[in-house]
Amino acid sequence: MNLENSATQTTDTRRKPMGMLSVRVLALLFVVFLAAPAVLGEFWVEVATEILILGLFAMSFNLIYGYMGQISFGHAAFFGLGAYATAMLFREFTGGTEEISYLQFFVSLAAGIPLAAFGALLVGYFCIRLTGIYFAILTLAFGELLFFVVFSWYSFTGGDDGIQRLLPPPLFRDPVMYYYLCFVIVIAAMAVMWRIVHSPFGYLLRAMRDNQERTRFLGINTRIYMLINFVIAGSFAGLAGALWGPFTRSVAPTLLGWQESGIAVFMTLLGGSAFFAGPMVGSIIYTFLHAWVTGFTQYWPLTIGAIILIIVLFSPGGLLGAIDAWRRIRTRQGSSGVADNTLVKEEPDS
Amino acid sequence: MSSNMSDKKWDSVLRSMDRREFIRTSVGAGLAMFAPRFASAQSGKPYKLGLLLPVTGTGANYADGAIKAVMNATAEINSRGGFLGKHLIEVNYRDTHTKPDVAAREARDVINRENVQTVVGTYSSACAMAIQEIIHEQKILHLAATSNSSKIVNENYTPYTYQFCPNSRMQSGSVVVAVAEMIKKNGWKSYATIGQDYEWGRQTQSGFVEALGKASSSVELKKELWFKLGETQFASYISALMAAKPDFVYGAIAGKDNRTFIQQAKAQGMFKRISYPGGLISVTELQQQRKSIPRGMIGLARAPFFAHLDQPLMQKYIKMHRAKHGEDAYPTDWAVMHYDAIYGLEQAINKAGSIATEAIKTALKGATIDTCRGRATFRDCNNQLNIPAGYVGAVKDHPDYPFPIYDLDTMIIVKAEDVWVPTCGDVQKLQKKRA
Amino acid sequence: MELDLNLVLSQLLAGVSRAMVLFLLASGLSLIFGVMNILNFAHATMWLLGGYITFSLYEGMGGEGPLLLMIAIIGGTIVMAALGALTERFLIRRMYDRELPEQLLLTFALLLIVGDIIKIIWGVEDRSVYLDIEALEVGGTFINPYYFVIIAVGIAVAAGLWWFLQKTRYGRIVRAAVYNRDMVSALGIRIPLIYMGVFALGVAIAGFAAGVFLPLMPMALGVDIDLIVQCFAVVVIGGFGSILGTFVGSLLVGVVYAFSILIWPDGALAVVFLIVVAVLMWRPWGLFGTELRY
Repeated sequence: MNLENSATQTTDTRRKPMGMLSVRVLALLFVVFLAAPAVLGEFWVEVATEILILGLFAMSFNLIYGYMGQISFGHAAFFGLGAYATAMLFREFTGGTEEISYLQFFVSLAAGIPLAAFGALLVGYFCIRLTGIYFAILTLAFGELLFFVVFSWYSFTGGDDGIQRLLPPPLFRDPVMYYYLCFVIVIAAMAVMWRIVHSPFGYLLRAMRDNQERTRFLGINTRIYMLINFVIAGSFAGLAGALWGPFTRSVAPTLLGWQESGIAVFMTLLGGSAFFAGPMVGSIIYTFLHAWVTGFTQYWPLTIGAIILIIVLFSPGGLLGAIDAWRRIRTRQGSSGVADNTLVKEEPDS
Repeated sequence: MSSNMSDKKWDSVLRSMDRREFIRTSVGAGLAMFAPRFASAQSGKPYKLGLLLPVTGTGANYADGAIKAVMNATAEINSRGGFLGKHLIEVNYRDTHTKPDVAAREARDVINRENVQTVVGTYSSACAMAIQEIIHEQKILHLAATSNSSKIVNENYTPYTYQFCPNSRMQSGSVVVAVAEMIKKNGWKSYATIGQDYEWGRQTQSGFVEALGKASSSVELKKELWFKLGETQFASYISALMAAKPDFVYGAIAGKDNRTFIQQAKAQGMFKRISYPGGLISVTELQQQRKSIPRGMIGLARAPFFAHLDQPLMQKYIKMHRAKHGEDAYPTDWAVMHYDAIYGLEQAINKAGSIATEAIKTALKGATIDTCRGRATFRDCNNQLNIPAGYVGAVKDHPDYPFPIYDLDTMIIVKAEDVWVPTCGDVQKLQKKRA
Repeated sequence: MELDLNLVLSQLLAGVSRAMVLFLLASGLSLIFGVMNILNFAHATMWLLGGYITFSLYEGMGGEGPLLLMIAIIGGTIVMAALGALTERFLIRRMYDRELPEQLLLTFALLLIVGDIIKIIWGVEDRSVYLDIEALEVGGTFINPYYFVIIAVGIAVAAGLWWFLQKTRYGRIVRAAVYNRDMVSALGIRIPLIYMGVFALGVAIAGFAAGVFLPLMPMALGVDIDLIVQCFAVVVIGGFGSILGTFVGSLLVGVVYAFSILIWPDGALAVVFLIVVAVLMWRPWGLFGTELRY
């Protein structure tokens, strides 16, 4: 925390409360998520598991978007690569039966990270040369390319079928146990992410986001750091993907598609991209709404579309941005709520 | 067109019923329509049914009829008090978006939140296989009535899945029976295939190639083309097919893509030069493309109502369907199969005398049930219903209907036993062990 | 596989017609982006909406014959132009000062909303117009004559847009607005009106294209999702904002796709995205674009 405060003071004092807001939100979430299975039924425990996994995915996306200032529409490719790495290793270990040892299970989960990282290294090598709209389109194009590779390589990946029978070992078949497994892994991943974004490297990213040219003038090879960040983001997405396969017991190529990437973008926007906890909060809103709304209507796209529209038009800082602005009006810090909102909005991309 | 009914009237019949029905089912599913909140005190607990079908993506075109069939059948049973006269049926509908991961999530949703006891669905075979993982683990019955990759009952078998649709292997096998005849008669030497690049397309194509290899080994496969689901422009595929100069082309195409392909292949003159026997031409295609579909084309259907007009159940269903949706509305193949699934479930519940899942499962095992397609029995080793494997016939106008049907005089109905995996021993070799 | 001349010609024709379908869709996208810097994810969905509207107009008038279809297409184009103007006025206009990601998200939200509105109004069944098209026999091979209609329409739209942007007063104003909004507005020209007009024109072209495609392919939910990504590919290859670039990009993608199907069918779509990646690496602003937003 000290690190964040001292650093933010030197750049922009108005950013100070955001770290604090994230910490409070995270502490609250930790308690809520820890206790959740005690009060929730099986279905809502599964929704909570989904929240954690997709939240990790969205947070990994926000490393590129919120911290590096570039928008990727191909981030699901790494989520999907992670899921497929796990699934294919799973398939090898079980060999058609559904028996897998705990060691093999964890090895399969871990396999998601290196494959996604490798994919991100290849894709990132090209993408970090571009910024803005070109970065968005190039990541989209690479994402689609990887999608078509998985989709067309029928003999190796199963093509459109995907891979079934990803039944975890007995203990983790219980939804509550799988939930806690995800809980522990996601918390650990978030801790690592927190360290990264509050390290000198993290501040360097923000410096590049705010002014890439000036950062370069300081003698810093911005491309290398952007690439490193891209690979880190891809690895976390891969980890999220690895958890997804055994959770739904199957994987399919749609996990790599651009619409899946859109989900990470939505979540980040809903929660607030200027906040560390933003994407996780966004995942809670998105996933919970999805589960709730599909219970009585099939017009989910219309519902989420309308919500996104309202957020973009009226509260571009997301939920946390709105809370933050409201707090400032109340404590009479900063100038005004509207101005603060603009600031939050401008943070991720400039 | 032999019908004296104007096209405009026909179109308005189709459209109005679609929209009304659609909005009603989509808004009402799981809520007011079939919810037993008005149920009287003496009735037992409701029987909950999960219905997973896509209204988004390439399968939406077929799902419409299937949703109607399930809603109509359950409404009829509910009017008699529900299953066993006391368990009203509550339908919980979810859209699978034709995506396997969504299908898996929605399957869990209806099972764990709505506590459904049976899942009916879905359209895409890849989605069905994702659903099988969930229902097997949760010990929930699964009635497949459109998704028909043979993997569902063989490689990916689970004792909780019951297949009411002829599987892809049986369908391809029936086409081969008809095509082998044509090869002999016309002296055909070569062919090409075009298919949708997904589970069902792949299984259907390979089933056809394999069976044809056995039936007439002299004929050569010159070219195979695959296209992604949702392709909109087939011009380059069609000219590639025509350039290969095969004697006939076999297509493994379903849904919206089938309509696009036939429309474009016809306009590009493919059918003038190359025979196209055995492509999927269900009642949906016959109705929607009643103007454009080439007469005389040899098609394959899964459960066409016109082949079973002598069956009492089919007569009853057609009557109900027309009363509900207009005099000129006839149920599609997808509707018939879903209708059979619901009444199959009812017969099993009656036999078991209980709505407990394990009791129904035991009652269904190897059971003989009455269907719109005649009396049929579930195969012991993989729960495949032995309804006809395929209907192969030539498209022909008929005075009784405002759309063409198959030529009833020459239509071939292939028996399931003739084309499915020959012995249960072979089936068990394919089936992988489950936990 | 032997590549005889007939095959090459018919495949070329298939490729060019595919290219014109893409061009008709992508030209509006490219125009809107070039002038207004808005990348419209919902463009193909509006195209789809135009198709459904045209279909309903056609059926409403009796649904027979090419003449009625032409009238319906004109009607559909006008309706889409109006809808485009309204969308610009009430939604897009609020986004000009915003950052790129927010603009993308707004149009992404529009894609979802419009898709579901189509589902609510028209239901889930496909819509298609049947014209009795007889195949033409040319040198031993059959050709769908409607492809010539598509190609002619594509070229006409390309020429019309070029003429409008280069030769008319409004076109010059539009081009000037691309380079310097402030200067144009200082000259007493109302920029918002120009933007509204350009957005309406872009959407109208999409609506027009959808009507023209109706006899060739059914309108169905989800088609837009597949097409928009291909449109992005075309626009990126040609260069944002360049109509000529979009035209050349369409030809490249269409023809390459058609020949990939002969040589390496499984990789046809991957090849398209390989081209996109290559162009973005080599010239991020596209073959004919200018280095505006790079």
